Amino acid sequence: MSLHLPVISIALLLLASFVMPLLRRGARAAALPFTLSVLGAVFTVSLYLIYLVESRGAFSYHVGGWPPPWGVELYIDHLAVYMMMVLSSICLVVMVYGARDLYHEIRAEVMSWYYTLYLLLLASMIGIALTNDLFTLFVFLEISTISACGIISIKKDRECIEASFKYLILSVLGSGCVLLGVAMIYMITGYLNYDFVAQELPQAIAEYPYNILMALSLFIVGFSVKSALFPLHIWLPDAHSSAPSPSSAVLSGLVIKIYAAAILRLLFRVFPAELFEVVPVLDILLFLSVLAVMAGSIFAMVQEDIKRMLAYSSIAQIGFVFMGIGLFGNRALLGGLVHIFNHALMKSMLFLAAGLIIYAAGIRNIRDLRGIGVRMPLTMGAFAIGAFSMVGIPGTNGFISKWHLALGALDLGRPFFVAIILLSSLLNGIYYLPIVINAFFGVKIEPRSEHRDVPGMMLVPVLILAAGVIFFGFYPGPILALLEQAIVL
Amino acid sequence: MEIISRLLENYYYFVSMVLFIIGIHTMLTHSNLIKKVIGMNIMDTSIFLFFVSIGYRRGGMAPIIQPGVEAEMYVNPLPSALILTGIVVAVSVTAYALSLIVELYKQYGTCCANEIAQIRAREES
Repeated sequence: MSLHLPVISIALLLLASFVMPLLRRGARAAALPFTLSVLGAVFTVSLYLIYLVESRGAFSYHVGGWPPPWGVELYIDHLAVYMMMVLSSICLVVMVYGARDLYHEIRAEVMSWYYTLYLLLLASMIGIALTNDLFTLFVFLEISTISACGIISIKKDRECIEASFKYLILSVLGSGCVLLGVAMIYMITGYLNYDFVAQELPQAIAEYPYNILMALSLFIVGFSVKSALFPLHIWLPDAHSSAPSPSSAVLSGLVIKIYAAAILRLLFRVFPAELFEVVPVLDILLFLSVLAVMAGSIFAMVQEDIKRMLAYSSIAQIGFVFMGIGLFGNRALLGGLVHIFNHALMKSMLFLAAGLIIYAAGIRNIRDLRGIGVRMPLTMGAFAIGAFSMVGIPGTNGFISKWHLALGALDLGRPFFVAIILLSSLLNGIYYLPIVINAFFGVKIEPRSEHRDVPGMMLVPVLILAAGVIFFGFYPGPILALLEQAIVL
Repeated sequence: MEIISRLLENYYYFVSMVLFIIGIHTMLTHSNLIKKVIGMNIMDTSIFLFFVSIGYRRGGMAPIIQPGVEAEMYVNPLPSALILTGIVVAVSVTAYALSLIVELYKQYGTCCANEIAQIRAREES
């Protein structure tokens, strides 16, 4: 029974998302408790799966009992359960917040559709994390594309519609590239299962080198578009800043990172290692990640809208994840992967805090935030913790990932990247800290009349995430221990 | 010369790659949103053609086993089956993109990405 849990959790999410629209009329009040209990169940399952994988090791699951290469296979290893835990925990906390916040951003009639899209998005992301099959990967990619665009465009605002159209076009381009890459791989190996492809590829390299290079480059381009790696990031700022705050938190915290985890799995489990000695793919990723870290921070500095600034900061932070992949060393990879969780915690918290400020005071412009810390001490306190974590001050979880990335770079004898990490921390400080300082110590310009009280149900998730930032800054042990087993290269 | 003869032999791969590039080019350079969606469909279709032609074997039979009839070679049915899923996905993405365009047209009164950008720039200033 417990071996069926991974597929049951995906099926449960899909089923719940299809049931949601049926709850529209009489039973609308049941939609929220139902969604939350499904999300809670999936989170519990992910914790149990971590225990299972820790005690028994990685296992694979054959959907429908068909063994590979004919059937679809899920592969549940340490990385997969780690991603599942990150996805389901953040989604649960954000949904608690969204339950209240969404009513002032979207119309009440479409609330149940929002739950549908949200659950579909989580299901597809868990699918991407667990799948061991190239075509299933593509199907889940497309589901996540549509549902991610859907949770932006559900707010029927001109900016949202335009942003989600831009996101949709570029995302479809990305998944088109991935499908073409899958075709290239299938053409020469005749398999879609990761393990079987990995067995065939070393021999195929000699015969069909161009196909493999083409597939590799298509995967890199496809996943970079979707995870907004620097030159392909243009869709991100609009999409993440205009979306309703819970959507921004999930999109920025989770959606862009699941694609990084997917490309990581493809690079290290499917493509043979000798390929990377011939083709400088990892160096290209490293180069792009350095550009992303720098450019994201520099663009973020000149923004006036707080959510737009956070969106640009995400472009910089996804660079760290790719830097971990590109450095290709145990410790650097550990830093990059733990940054997935850390950034998910702090960025979703910052977006929710920004959403709270927008909800309560109606302020989006950074200059108007002067003195808001006096009026909303808890919210701005959480924001300050997130800002410190972004800068990487010890005692916050942002420090842990940067520390491991820097040590990993030193292990490999590449101190240049340590300099980049330090420089980016300084840049983060330049644009995050003035907000915090002005909020608490700045002179208030004018008291706005439209001040609303912050409901507890919205404040508590922000505080939980802030507590998580501090907690995992002091006790990163369990997460690091799990990830160390995930990256036995 | 060898390249040309191999291209002629596998012309369906070549054609689908040309279509792929036409699709991407239309999708990224045209400012008309409908044309972008058309480009998206051309790109998707080219990938489907490519995928299906992988499974084709010259002289192969349809993969139906009939008693008494022995074929030397069957066409690989798996790519066609996969592409069926791909087509469904492409249809739903197209429907969604078109519904977004309808909404954009209602809001801005135009289907041109450049004009929308101009309207927004005017509003901000």
